[in-house]
Amino acid sequence: MNTPFDPARAVMDYPRRDAQDKVTGRTRYTVDMGGPGVLHAVMVRAAAAPARILRIDTAAAAAMPGVQAIATAADAPGLHGIGIADHPLFAIDTIRYPGEPVAAIAAETLEQARAAAAAVVIETEPLPAAVTMAAALADGAPLVHPGWRDYEVITEGAIRGGNIAWEARFERGAVDAAFARADVTVVESCFRVGRQNQMPFEPRAAVASFEDGRHHIRTSTQVPWTVRNVTARVLGLPPSQVRVTVPAVGGGFGLKFDCTIEPVAAILARKSGRTVSLVNARDEEMLTCLCRENADIRIRSAIAPDGTIAAREAVVLMDCGAYGGEQVFLTTMTAHTLGGNYRAGAMRMVSRAVYTHTPPNGAFRACNGVYNTFALERHTDEICAAIGMDRAAFRLKNVLGDGDIGAAGQRFQGEVLRPMLDRMEALRVESGDRRAQAGGRLYGRATTVGTWFIFVGPSSATVNLNADGSATLVTAGVEIGQGTMMQALPQIVAANLGLHPSEVIVKTADTDAAGRDLGVGGGRTTVSIGAAAEAACADLRRKLLPVAAEMLQTPAERLVLTAGRVEIAGRPGSGTTIAKVVERAEAVMGPVSGSGAFTNPGVSAMPGCAAGHFIEAIDIPVFAVHDCELAVDPDTGHVEILAYRVVQDVGRALNPRAVRSQIQGGVVQGLGYALFEEMTVHPGTGAMEQAGFESYLMPLAQDVLPVEVDLFEGAPSIGPLGTKGAGEVPILNVGAAVGCAVADAIGRPVGQLPLTPPRVLALIDGRDSAPDHPHIPRRWADNLLR
Amino acid sequence: MTIDLTVNGQPRRFAGDPRTPLIDLLREDLRLTGAKAVCREGFCGTCTVLVDGQPVPACLRPVGLLAGAEITTVEGLAPQGDLNPVQRAFLDHDVVQCGMCFSGMVVTLTALLHRNTAPTRAEVKAALTGNMCRCTGYERIVDAVLSLAPADPPTEAAR
Amino acid sequence: MPAAAQSPPMVLPRSVADALAALALPGAQAVAGASWVMRAPLRHEPQAPTWVALAGIEDLHRCDITGDRVRLGALVTHDRLAHALPAAPDLRALAQAAAGAANPGVRRIATLGGNLCATGFAAADLAPALLALDATVEIATPQGRESLPMEDFLTRRGAPGPWLLTEVTIPRGPWRSAHARLPMRKAGDYPAAIVSLSATLTPERRIERLLAAIGAVEQAPRRWHALETRAKGEPLAALADLAQDTAGITARDALDAPGWYRLRILPTLVRRAAEAIAEDTA
Repeated sequence: MNTPFDPARAVMDYPRRDAQDKVTGRTRYTVDMGGPGVLHAVMVRAAAAPARILRIDTAAAAAMPGVQAIATAADAPGLHGIGIADHPLFAIDTIRYPGEPVAAIAAETLEQARAAAAAVVIETEPLPAAVTMAAALADGAPLVHPGWRDYEVITEGAIRGGNIAWEARFERGAVDAAFARADVTVVESCFRVGRQNQMPFEPRAAVASFEDGRHHIRTSTQVPWTVRNVTARVLGLPPSQVRVTVPAVGGGFGLKFDCTIEPVAAILARKSGRTVSLVNARDEEMLTCLCRENADIRIRSAIAPDGTIAAREAVVLMDCGAYGGEQVFLTTMTAHTLGGNYRAGAMRMVSRAVYTHTPPNGAFRACNGVYNTFALERHTDEICAAIGMDRAAFRLKNVLGDGDIGAAGQRFQGEVLRPMLDRMEALRVESGDRRAQAGGRLYGRATTVGTWFIFVGPSSATVNLNADGSATLVTAGVEIGQGTMMQALPQIVAANLGLHPSEVIVKTADTDAAGRDLGVGGGRTTVSIGAAAEAACADLRRKLLPVAAEMLQTPAERLVLTAGRVEIAGRPGSGTTIAKVVERAEAVMGPVSGSGAFTNPGVSAMPGCAAGHFIEAIDIPVFAVHDCELAVDPDTGHVEILAYRVVQDVGRALNPRAVRSQIQGGVVQGLGYALFEEMTVHPGTGAMEQAGFESYLMPLAQDVLPVEVDLFEGAPSIGPLGTKGAGEVPILNVGAAVGCAVADAIGRPVGQLPLTPPRVLALIDGRDSAPDHPHIPRRWADNLLR
Repeated sequence: MTIDLTVNGQPRRFAGDPRTPLIDLLREDLRLTGAKAVCREGFCGTCTVLVDGQPVPACLRPVGLLAGAEITTVEGLAPQGDLNPVQRAFLDHDVVQCGMCFSGMVVTLTALLHRNTAPTRAEVKAALTGNMCRCTGYERIVDAVLSLAPADPPTEAAR
Repeated sequence: MPAAAQSPPMVLPRSVADALAALALPGAQAVAGASWVMRAPLRHEPQAPTWVALAGIEDLHRCDITGDRVRLGALVTHDRLAHALPAAPDLRALAQAAAGAANPGVRRIATLGGNLCATGFAAADLAPALLALDATVEIATPQGRESLPMEDFLTRRGAPGPWLLTEVTIPRGPWRSAHARLPMRKAGDYPAAIVSLSATLTPERRIERLLAAIGAVEQAPRRWHALETRAKGEPLAALADLAQDTAGITARDALDAPGWYRLRILPTLVRRAAEAIAEDTA
């Protein structure tokens, strides 16, 4: 975009404006809004699944003390979903996973609501179960959705059938011919990863009321417009009948793309005529967490004698649980993650979202990319071992560069990964080798690369210029802790209007006030809302500057906005204050505001090579290089990280301190994924086994270290002022870097995450080895739906 | 059974079930929602308050055991509009993200600095064993606290 | 159940006798620091209808340390214990157990008595340390007071009441002790295994008498008598090798770790504890 100012003026370590209330305990999150007069609601959940519902009787519960409203499937006839509408708000005739809601109850107190929930009679009869993907793919497996053919298809292009909720695939070039070459070395690897719980400290929560004939939902969400639309869909209402506002959100990490709480609160508010608070208890969050999915991966590569990749093929099974949810969409991502990083002569991959009788999975920071990068980088190290090539040399030779064709035929622009690898080498030299700190333990090191991208899509913004010279930015953006609404956006608006960011008020999300927005996720807020805000500022300048031109008797082209003033270019002090211009503008044409919008700019891919994909090409690629040094205790299997280094492609860092904070936090979440965090499914019941913080281990202060960071700026980006989203990508290659470094340390292949002490010790002892996936046929084509 | 206790300097009387966790008294009855009830099992630290000067998880303290106790929550650490040194350092270093853990962090670290004015990096981290953060990755929180102890050797802080 | 309905949710006796009387109420449960019982709902256990909260009984807060023995009231918290114990080689296992358990906030609440009486808690830290230190437990019943060795107490602690653990006595002596625990993280979670040792050494640094205890490995902590017997007369440095034989120990499979892992790391924990003892003597 052609900016009328030096973009560098937007760059500063501007501090957050919400910090004071947060450190003094005065911020009110959705969970803090259950004050006097508010009803408390609880879900009634079915314990055993799969099962056919014979009877659900709420009569006794309705007669319990304090009960004000009960919601059941009869109140929510619509099915929702991504790609396909397969998900009811309450189980209708079948319980598909343990913990699935069948009803909800609002009462005067939480204790009364819980007592009433316990009085709901649920009679079911068991059905045959498919708890694992292997079981769900077996011949004659029970279907999780016997009526899958009847579901509404929301996104065209579906390939699906039976327990395959969605299949996305692409094939570019002559893969079979390349594997058949006599001179190639074929390397094949299998990987398995578990589920990771986002564990935002604020659980999913909503406070709903029914005001002037419309629903108002205050909710802890990342996607207010999705909440509006899904609530309307399942309730059978026009979306305009739902207003969503979002207070401070206590963490999201992708979980709060969910929309299973809000419609329930809305139903109860309408039925009771009262304000209703519905907050998931922690054990409910654990039971129904929409985790990063468990996945099984088989990948095979044909390596030419010169060390280039002649062909690559892969199968990725993604467990979507009982409903398709985000995994349907995320099948698209494999092309850009497992298919990322490296040039290959020919490539084909298939990603299959598989239904199982387990709690549904969801979105989690760098969805799909985290485990596919682990698989790709470990596979790359196995290739290096097989052909006897240095790991760094292989990467330098094969990483995507300027003009290279990506997995599904997209042409990449700019030389980014190679200079980033060079910068990492420089960072390593500067910070020094930590081998000595390993002492008597096994030392390992790895450098890994990762490819991610910024989701774009629709955003809108309005900027009002106020009579006191301040500006108000109105968007549907949400502050989930990432800081974009507090830092990057006011900085962008301020730079565009010649103000200080403290003079830019940012309105919290309200679907009644702001236009549509895709939501916070995929690293898109700075880029998409930032671009819309820039467009709004340009619109505003077009209105404001002619007024100033007349006041200052100077052509508008020669005017600049700076330090709260309109100045004649090159003559500081010559102009007047923005407030005075606004005053004049209000007199001659009314209040000054600008509006702007942004969406997918559209990057083309090779036509015809992909099927079942939601997006063909990536608009803003983001690259990351991570380096890890660690020590493994051969007696206990404990892994200690000795050094962690990140070179991240950030486009332009508007707030370098905040970007570094995101990298520190994202890497630590990744260390959790790599070392401790796993939600396991009970093989008998299909229920999640970890019930809380005692059994689900996240990193504590003593488990982490300061991440060494080098921000790589200047790679091509269509983002405002050259930005790329920086918050999502830091977690991308942590599992990869740790997995590769542990394999380096113990001298054995690592095929699974997390690398808990028992798992590492089992590898060292030879008690366990890399997984082999009998349920993923070795012949690629045998994995496709026909 | 009524229980008299002091919360942020004000006398309070509680007449409910004495097994009620302190966190519910604070959040529901007194509407002091700074302390959060995130895990309810003493692992996350977001409900940490001072009971007679000691930082403890309020989820594990039944009100019936607190007759005569002096409770200080995050809201009571500094007068309204003012900040204590830990809170000030968190602002100055811009360490806050979602903020859910910070009430507990502030209380725990305020108490730490009260008994140890110049903790080492390792001591700060050990003191945070029961205070979890899902956003920040901790290190910048530790940096902010160490900035309050100028005697701390910079070489160790840099490591 | 009219009797239960009339029982108050909490009684606060001022004496052991009053506490025992209250514990005779139907469904009454003794509560010390409450950190375990407050989590009963998370374990899907019913909350006892009446809590007999012991906090007001002055005697149970005793922390009396002399050159001959240590007497600890049931209500001494982990934190207080960690600060009160002198840096003496014989008591080191207990000091390490008290200072390393759970996290600082929980250590300020959780008590000695609660730790020893929580039957469902396999990974309690104080119990194996006290086993290794040959502690004696005093139990009060309506019939009077009774002292019994830790080992016997652990087998009898599930017995129906009313009874009350009032204090623990630890003898002092020329032995040296250490406590080694292995959580999955650096700290803050329950250890997958615990080894507590106390050893009396000959001038040649051979083991004259060893008391060894394990925690978190089986459902309840217990002495490792087989190791104690094998160790007699052996050099301290050989102890880890002797611990390779874990016959007779039935390790539990749980979410945090499989049973084989607990057994596999026992020799390492024995080695670490033995090294701590050796360092101490150097």
